[in-house]
This record gives sequence, structure tokens and C-alpha cells, in this order.
Amino acid sequence: MTERQTLDPVTFEVLKNSFVTVVDEMAEQILRTCHSFVIWARDFSNALCDAQGNTVMQGSQDIAVHVGTLHFTAKAVIEAFEDDINPGDVFAINDPYAGGTHFNDVRIIRPIFVEDEVIAFAQSNGHWADVGGNVPGSFDVGAKMHFGEGLRIPPVRIWDGGEYRRDVVNLITANTRAPDDVEGDLTAQAEATKVAEREILRLVEKYGKGTVVTAFAEVQDYVERLARNKVSELPDGTWETEDYIDQDPSAEEGLIPIKVKMTIDGDEISYDLSGSHPVIGSFLNAGIGTGFSGIVAGTKTFFPEVPLNSGFYRVIDANLPEHTVVNAPWPTAVTGFCSGAYEKIMSSLFELWSQAMPERALACCFNLEYLLIGGWDKRTEASPFFMWYDWMVGGWGGRNGKDGSNATSPVFGVGLAVQPLEGQERLSPVVTSTHQMVPDSGGPGRFRGGCGVQKGGTLTQIEDTVMSYCCDRARSITWGIEGGLPSCPHGVWLSEDGSKEEFLGAVFSDVSMESGAAFTRPSAGGGGYGDPLLRDPEAVKEDVADGYVTPEGAKRDYGVVVREVDAELAEWEVDEEATEEERRSIRESRIGWLDKDPEKLAQRYREGEIGTLELIRRHGVILNWGTGELLPKTTEGFRAMLKRRVVPHWSNGEG
Amino acid sequence: MLHLAVDVGGTFTDICLFDDEEGTTRVGKVSSTKDPIDGVFEGIEDIGVPLGDIGLFSHGTTVATNALITRSFPRAAMVTTKGFRDVIEIRRGTKQDLWDAYEDVAPPYIRRKDRFEVAERVDYAGKELEKVDEEEVRRLAHLIRRRGIETVAVCLVNAHANPEHEERVRDVLEEALPEVAISTSSEVLPEIFEHERFSTTVANAVLAPLVGNYARTLAERMREGGYQGDVLLLHSGGGVMTADVAEGFGARLASSGLAAGAIAGGHIAKLAGYENAVSLDMGGTSADISLMVDGATRVTSDWYVEYGYPIRFPSVEVSTIGAGGGSIAWIDAAGSLRNGPQSAGSDPGPACYGRGGEEPTNTDANLLLGRLGERLIGGAMTLDRSAAGRAVSRIGEALDLYTTEAARAILEVANANLADAIRLALIRRGHDPRDFVLVAFGGAGPLHGAELARELSVPAVLVPPNPGITSALGCLLVDVRHDFSEMHLIPADETEPSEIESRFTELEGKARERLHAEGIRDEDVRLLRSLDMRYLGQWRSLEISVDGEVESLEDLTARFHEEHERQHAYRRDETPVEIYQLKVTAIGTIPKPELPREQTEEHEPEAKEHREVVFGDEDRVSAAVYKRNDLRPGAKIAGPAIIEQLDSTVVVPLGDRAEIDGFSNIIIRIGGDE
Repeated sequence: MTERQTLDPVTFEVLKNSFVTVVDEMAEQILRTCHSFVIWARDFSNALCDAQGNTVMQGSQDIAVHVGTLHFTAKAVIEAFEDDINPGDVFAINDPYAGGTHFNDVRIIRPIFVEDEVIAFAQSNGHWADVGGNVPGSFDVGAKMHFGEGLRIPPVRIWDGGEYRRDVVNLITANTRAPDDVEGDLTAQAEATKVAEREILRLVEKYGKGTVVTAFAEVQDYVERLARNKVSELPDGTWETEDYIDQDPSAEEGLIPIKVKMTIDGDEISYDLSGSHPVIGSFLNAGIGTGFSGIVAGTKTFFPEVPLNSGFYRVIDANLPEHTVVNAPWPTAVTGFCSGAYEKIMSSLFELWSQAMPERALACCFNLEYLLIGGWDKRTEASPFFMWYDWMVGGWGGRNGKDGSNATSPVFGVGLAVQPLEGQERLSPVVTSTHQMVPDSGGPGRFRGGCGVQKGGTLTQIEDTVMSYCCDRARSITWGIEGGLPSCPHGVWLSEDGSKEEFLGAVFSDVSMESGAAFTRPSAGGGGYGDPLLRDPEAVKEDVADGYVTPEGAKRDYGVVVREVDAELAEWEVDEEATEEERRSIRESRIGWLDKDPEKLAQRYREGEIGTLELIRRHGVILNWGTGELLPKTTEGFRAMLKRRVVPHWSNGEG
Repeated sequence: MLHLAVDVGGTFTDICLFDDEEGTTRVGKVSSTKDPIDGVFEGIEDIGVPLGDIGLFSHGTTVATNALITRSFPRAAMVTTKGFRDVIEIRRGTKQDLWDAYEDVAPPYIRRKDRFEVAERVDYAGKELEKVDEEEVRRLAHLIRRRGIETVAVCLVNAHANPEHEERVRDVLEEALPEVAISTSSEVLPEIFEHERFSTTVANAVLAPLVGNYARTLAERMREGGYQGDVLLLHSGGGVMTADVAEGFGARLASSGLAAGAIAGGHIAKLAGYENAVSLDMGGTSADISLMVDGATRVTSDWYVEYGYPIRFPSVEVSTIGAGGGSIAWIDAAGSLRNGPQSAGSDPGPACYGRGGEEPTNTDANLLLGRLGERLIGGAMTLDRSAAGRAVSRIGEALDLYTTEAARAILEVANANLADAIRLALIRRGHDPRDFVLVAFGGAGPLHGAELARELSVPAVLVPPNPGITSALGCLLVDVRHDFSEMHLIPADETEPSEIESRFTELEGKARERLHAEGIRDEDVRLLRSLDMRYLGQWRSLEISVDGEVESLEDLTARFHEEHERQHAYRRDETPVEIYQLKVTAIGTIPKPELPREQTEEHEPEAKEHREVVFGDEDRVSAAVYKRNDLRPGAKIAGPAIIEQLDSTVVVPLGDRAEIDGFSNIIIRIGGDE
């Protein structure tokens, strides 16, 4: 980093803002022309990289999960083609083992030349609806290795000196289920990089090549300086925590730890993920790119005003040990990283930074989830293939002085919009039964977690149809901080004709569906912040009036006893005396609740005497929610987590 | 005839009076009042015209926008399909601020406890799956009455495909609650996508009592004062509607204020012979940017007052950035110079106002560089040059620059930000800046216009005669306008021209009915047809205008391919094209002022004074200073020059040439070319 910028302040500021405009113009181009509805829902990102592949600027509205990975793929192209990069060339890459995210995220990269010198690379990354593999949408939930997941694209040239390499593009599109859409997206992304080229060349003409290239470096220095100034204002220290993936399907039950140690030393932040669990037998592992992305995105959440580029990454030192769930090597399956290791890293960082920056504290947020139903739509003669590819919003964690936000897009990408069910119903034989918030889903706390939602439906006229689900946290339930309590389990419930309910869990693939089958799933709320017994009873009462909390939940989770004054007016009042009594009684008992015999509690669950939320929040007991079978090792791990993370913050005296 | 427009903004109420016979315009400005209607009458009194003499009165207002932002509307209820009462709270789930976990999206306009559900369901094609539980609706009516709720939004799933259930719910509610206003989503916005339709309907419903009341009160007071014509309200779609129908379209008033400037900018440019224009309405705190392309002001349905709550009525497309005369220059944590979006506003205002402001603003920088004179509003206000110098020198010290250089730096950053915003607005639609004229107005627009145009490669700048009240003029320039649409999702090769034709005819019937209800005569009715189309599988559609009877769908698809290629730089001839919806815009022509065009007589006016001004990277030069009132059509002025007027100051930089056209606009040719 240079100590002072050499560009005059005006030229610097003007060019910096121009770079922001360039990547935002790329986004506008993509939004107008993309074919994939996933891209249209903003699952894309754009970057301007310098001649070495470092990111100079990334789109201000880009999805979080791509953050911190775009320089890897630019560098991979440079490494692969070295001196053989020529004007008019365009490259494609999606390789997660070279810093990409997952196979669906295909990056189109165009070198920008001034005469015969490359001065920059424009990169556009979009989530294609399908890149082949065993299952539609290329989300093979059962995959353990990448070969069946989808097409792996190492750096390849798709335009050669301005000539479209139809042979190479055909090789790519021929390996997908939607060749037309894929080529449409490829074209849209290539056009976006062309927009960037045009704008950069305009700047070169106005300011000169030297000035623009200097600005590429100085904009990174600027971000580095900004970040370092902020970090150095924070107290030095080391903080540690761990979070868990639910299980390794290839091993016995038990939580899979991801360990994070964060150190702030002067103006440097370092993260050490040593001790994280070895690679597991599911696709929830993260590759090196997404492991690093989780760290960058988790950090950035606490520095929202710092722009994103490689200058920010220079302030961060990350140790991601190989062969673990946070750095899985080829050919381990990693497509589901976003529901697995990635978001566990982010959540861990939320907890660590909540200690370093208490004024911006944030408890754990709901887990990213994708439900995919694919089969034949028999509503018409033509009976086309359909894909009901759905993701939900959920609750965010409680905050210092503020409840968590209800029903919000995942930390994976806050710009990722949910789909309109009216559009889905037209395109697929699924009638949505409900799309609403779930009472009591917010993790209880002095400031509660935001509410999660529930969405489900009935399959009408179908044939050869299967359902797959990519999520997590049916067992490693979304947790609270500072004494706040967990939310509720993720997972899909199946109900044929509304009668017998079957729990399919939070990760499964290719479950056969019949016409008339009904299903639903909740998204978790956010974890709570602070001891729920300290929540203002008036706030609990208002939550009851609006139905965010049930009267039973108010008593169980907050020790607040409310009485209905007039149901027609939705008016309630707090029974202060009973509340005081209830809170006293909970304070006395709650430590002991965490040591009650879990098998007996599981038995009571099976007999319908005790509910899921009571088991989780009071007893830390985790079951197979469908059968009621106790998961002893998981429960042990979950209880240890509560005792470490939550219990020390409870005041159980008179206070 | 006298045409009167009153445009109420947050700070000022602008008045514009146009006399047809004399061809003259009179303008005025008064402070806005707590009850905005009081300001309207203060303004009319100020300009001194008896209400009985006015032939036509048009009005732009921010009353609906403010009510939404401050949530000051009566308690409202929603009735929706069982299982879906949270659609408007779940929204699309996204946040405007992606990274700040402490910045939340605003809460919905109706609280959860007042969102009621009723068992009923139709499917995507409009087929009934479950009957309306009418008993339940009657029970809800009872709750709504007991809660004292005045307005209800009925929003059922798939109502765009079949409105019958909504109509049934409405009928039952109306029977039980004759005093309550009821909006149904299938009537307000019959379009697919539940959140967007519900959200628009809810915004409309919560505003209905307020807007209805406002329109009635205004109309009554106008009548009492002796006015005998219609009270016309400017709406976001770039047209007016009569006060009588306003109650039904409250949300259409929600961007009334923004629309006025865009319309005026486009209209003035068109009169002056430009078909493509970027309007820049730059005031004290922000700048509004809008486009006119091929003579039509750009309209979008992608619009909201608060993020997350779309109002999908066609609205004039305006992008706003925090760059105005009062925007503050500052040094960020990494030592870099920034400009805005924080503003000193009008209180305390820029440092040079001498009202206690100490932060350096664009106005201070303009003053120090001599672009702005020390006496404003014809001498009614004196600017404090030394206060401006003190403020700007703080930037200078931080960057090691002389104060003049610092002032120049501040403006360059401000102009670069504005240029970036305009560039984004243009690329969003795939346009080339060189095909446009920049219409610069608002108090600060003409100060920045020429330098911006140079930065953007826009060849000319147009400054209207009264830059400070251009928006009010916009209210006078439009017709009555209503927009109708109907979903019709079908591949273009699976339908017949006759089918499309009969659907258009039906929509046009509704359109005529609405215009007749507003007293528009048949001969003044114009109906414009268009189709939204897209490639099968694509999620964005393009609007293709339909001239006359639909005879062939091949023609329309061919035009779609062309338009797609123009806007998106590629086409896919093999891909099937799908029709998305049919739209009819109903225009009721009303008398509009014909701005007089005077003969231009080429001459070079003499400047009465000169002052030192800094432009670009040049040193101080002596610039001629003119009074705009002294300039006659045909005047030609070579930069560097300053043209001062009551409500603004026009800067003509070195190397550019200005001339006064027949409409008394100043046209600045960048680089001096003809």
C-alpha cells in the first residue's frame, strides 16, 4: 500500500466513482438481458479487476456469496493463459477449486486492452439455472464428489480475438438442460463485460492510461487504508467460537464443528479456522474460494460503509486448513456450501464481531434453503418438464437494542428476491397453500430474533416427480447470543392428503412425489439477543397482539403472562403479578432444565406432551423431529453449545 | 383563458399563471404551509389573480408522498386469502442496504393485526378451487367496524386471473360497512405477482380517505373562491385527473411532485426541437433526473415511495441523487474528498447564507469561483463570501489546496457524481448521451448544466425561462390520463389477432367510460394501445406500441425483436415470443397553454458588467454578466458569461456559446458548435 495517493484528490474521487458506475452499469445490462430467473432474482455479481486480477471494484448490489471470490477466478484465467491473452478474447470459468463458488456460478471474463497491453479484466458472474449433472438445477444434494454435480469449466476461451468459439460454447451448452437459456445468459454476461470495456476505454481517453491504471491501484489502497483505520480504532484481542453443520451423513449422528479464532492486532484482522472438522460426505463443504468469501462477507457485515475490493482482503489474514469442511479439495462435492460451511463461517463471525463491536451485535440468522421439485407437468397435453425451484426468506438475529428483522433474504445475499407464488403456480403444477410468518419462530431474547416464514403447497397433476432439499440447521438450531435463545428447526414436512405427517429433514434428494402430495417447510427465525426474561413485557404484549408471539410462547419463552382484553380489537394486557411469579420460577429452574434426562423428554415428545420449541429452548434436546427418536450425541453437543454461549449471560439472581 | 398551476413542495409552493391571449407567464413562490391547501391560496393571492378569472386550474402536490413516509393516514385493514396475510410483510425479502444489518426496511402500511384472512381460492387460470367463506367475511366486517377502520384493501391470490372472489368479498363488506372505502386488487392493478399487486392496492387504500378528503376540500375552497372549472390533479403517470375521481387513485398521486418537473423539461425541449432530452431538476438538497426519448417522457412501473412497497402504476421515471446546491463536501476516514449526499438544506443552509452553517457546500464553492453572484433574488438576499471562504478552506487544508482550488475540486466531484447518475439512467435503457439535450432547471441546475454536458458529451444545454418554477409549469402541460392493463400471458403464435383485438376493444371501453365520467367529450379522447412482450423464459418484458387495429402478430413480434436488439444489443429470432399484457392509455385532451414563439433577431447584447470567474482548469477570467430579463430572442453570447435571473444563475463556460431561442430558452452549445 502506498502511504499517500499520487493522484490529485479530484481525479481520484472521480475515477473511484466512475469504477462504481462501471460495475453498476454492468449490473443494469445483466438485469435487462438475462434469461435465468435466478440471475433475474439478483444472483449475480460484477467486478472490475486490474491487470494482475485483483478486484478494483465490485458491484454495490452484488450478492454476498460472490464477495471475495472474483479475484481468484480472474487470477486463474491469467495463470492458465499467461501471454496468450489477446484483444477480443473472452473467457469463461466456474471452477470451485480455483476459487469459484459452485458450478452454476459461471464467470465471463474479458481482458481490456489499451493498444497491446492488458490494463484490466471485466468479470461478470451469474448463476445459471442449470449446468448439467444428475439433477435438474445442478443441485445434487446426494453428491459426495463433484463428477455428478454439474459441468466443471476450467478457464476456457469463448471468444478468440473477437471470433465466437461456437465449438467451445456448444460443449458447455450441450451439457446443460437448458442450452438456450444458458447461451442467453452467457451472451448477457459477455455484453456486460463489453459495457465495462467501453467505459474504461472512455476513461483512458479522457485521463490517460497511466492515470487510470494508477487509480486501479490507489482505489485498492484507499479501501485498505479505510479498513485499517477502522480496525485500528478497535481494541486488540482474540475471540473464539464454533458453529456446527447438522451432521455427516456418512458417519454416525453428531454435530460437525467449524472453529473460528479471530485476532485483532493493530490494524490487522486474522482468522484461524484450525480444528474445523474434516471434509464430510455431503455437498455442504466449502471450497477455498467460498471459505474465504464467508470470512470476507462476515467481516464486511460489520464494516458496511467500506467498499469491496482487494484492498479490503489485504487487511484480512485467513488460515483455512485443507481437507476440512472450510477448504475442501477436488473432487469433494461443494455445491451446497452456501447452506453448509459458508453460512456457518458467517454466523461465527457475527458472534465474534458482536464482542469486538457490541454496538453492532447480531445473533445467528436463519439458514439458506433451496427446495427443488422437478418432474412432468400433466396439466396440459404437452406435459412439459417443470422445475419448482424455491427459496425462502427467514428471520435475522436479534440485535443490541433492536429486534431482529422479520422475513428477510438470507445472509448469503440480501438482494436475492423470493419468487412470486402466482408466477410459480402458472409455471408448475404446485398450488401454494401458505406463505406466512410463523408465530414464536423468532429466537426469544431481550431483543428477539426476527420471525421466519412457512411456505408449502400441494402437487396437482404430475408424473415422475421428485423433491430435493438443500438446507441445514434441523439440529444445529439457529442460536442466540448474550443469553438469547435458539429459534426452531429447518426441515421439510410431507403430508399426504393432510393426514400423516412425515419429516424429510433438512438435506435430502430425489424423494418421489405423487399427485395430491402436500408439503411444507418453515424457515427459522433469528436467534435472540440477551436474556428473554429481561424483555419488556409491553413489547411481548404487542407481539402477541400482532401474532408474532403466541400467548403460550409469551409465557414459556419470556415468562410473560398476558390476558385477552378484547379479542375483536386485538387488545391484550400484561398480568404483572403473574409475570413476576412466572419469571421467578423460570429463573430458578432453567439451569436444571438443561440437564434433564433427554430420553425421558424425547418420550414425552413422542407422546405429544411436550413441543419442539420447549425441547430446544428449555432443554437443549435434539431429536429426529419426525420419529421423535433422540439424537444423543447431537443433544450433548447442542447442550454444551448452550452452556457455553447462552447460560453464562443469564442473571439468575434477583435481577 | 388564464391557466393557473400551483405546485406544492416540501419547502416552497410554486405558482405559474399563463395568459393565453397575451401569451405571458407570471410566476410566484411562497413558503409551503402546514395545511398545504392554505399555501395554495396564499400563492394565488400572492400572484394577485381573482379565482373567478381562471379558466383552468392544475395542481401538483406531495401530500400523498408525505402521508406514506410519515404514516399519517387513517388505520386501514386488509382482507386476503387464508395463508397469505404476510405477503406484504415478507415482500420479496430484499433490503435496500445490503450490508448494514442495522438498517431495516420500513414496516408495511397495515399492521399485522389488521390483516385478516378468509378461506377462498382460485388457481392460476382463474378456476375456483374453494368458495369464498361469506360468513367469515361478515365476521370480518364486524371486526373492521369495531376497530373503527375507514378503508379496506381486498387482496386475494390470483385475482388478476379472476376477479369474482374479490368482487364477492367487496359486496359483502360494502353491504355491512357502507361508510368504509373498499379497494380490490383486481380493480386497482389487475396484474400477476401477488406482492406487487397487493402492495399497490394497499398504498391506494390507505391513501383513499386522505386524498379524497384533500381533493374535495381543495375543490370546495376553489369553488367558494369563484372558480368554475375542474380542479385537475397531476399524477405520477404524467397526466392529470379530476378531483372527483382522485379518491379512487390515491397512490397515483404519490409521485405527483416528481412527475411535474420531468414533464415540463421534456415538453420545453420538444418545443425547442429536441426529441431526446435528459432533464436535470437540481434544487437545494437533491437532483431529479428523467429522460424523454423520441418525444415521450420515460415511464416505468418499477416505482416506490419506500423501498419494499412497490406502487406499480405507470409513473414517470425519475432517479434522484443527493446532489444539490446545499450538498456538503467532506473528507472521509481515508482522507478522500466526497460530496453529499448530506445537505445543509435551507436551514442553516450553505455557509454563505450566513445563518450559522459552517459546512462547505456546492453553493459556497460556486460563490467563491464567481459563478454565483453575491446578490441573489434580485438583491433580496446577500451571500457572505468570507463565510464561504472559511468553510471551503477546511477542505483546502485537508487536501493541501488553495481555497480556490478546493472550491473547484468540490464542484468537479459534484459534477462527476451527477454525470455518473445520468450515465446510469441512460445506459439502463441503452442510450447514447450524444443524442440528447440536457434541460437544466431548478435553482442549481443552470449553474452546473454546461460543465455536466461537457463531461457527458451531451452537445447542448437548454435552460427554460423560469428554471425555479419549471415544475409548476409542468402541471399545465399535460392532458387527463389514465392507464389500463390486462394480463394476457400467451405465446404469440398461440393466439389470433382477433383475440387480441377484442381484448383491446374491451379495455378501451373501460377507458372511455372513465374519461366520460370526468366530463371528457368523445372528440377529445385518444386511446393508445401497447403490448408488453418478452422472449419465452425471460423475466423482463418490453413495451411495443400498437398502432390501430391488430392485423398480424408477426408484425408485432418482428418489432419486438428489433426493439430487443436496440435496447439489449442482441436478438434471438429462433426463440418464441410471449405476450405478457395489454395496455391502453386513455388521454383526454384538455386546453393547454401554447407557449408563444417570438421572432428571433440575431444580435449580440452588450454586457453591463463583468466579473472574475473560474472555469475548468483555467485561471480567473473576466466573464460578461447579463440580466436574463434584458435578453431578447436571438441574442447570442459567447462564453465565458454569467446570466443572472430571479430564481437561478446560468453559467456559460469559456468556449461555449449561448443563444436565446424564440421561447426565451437559453440554449448553450458546448464547444460553441451550431
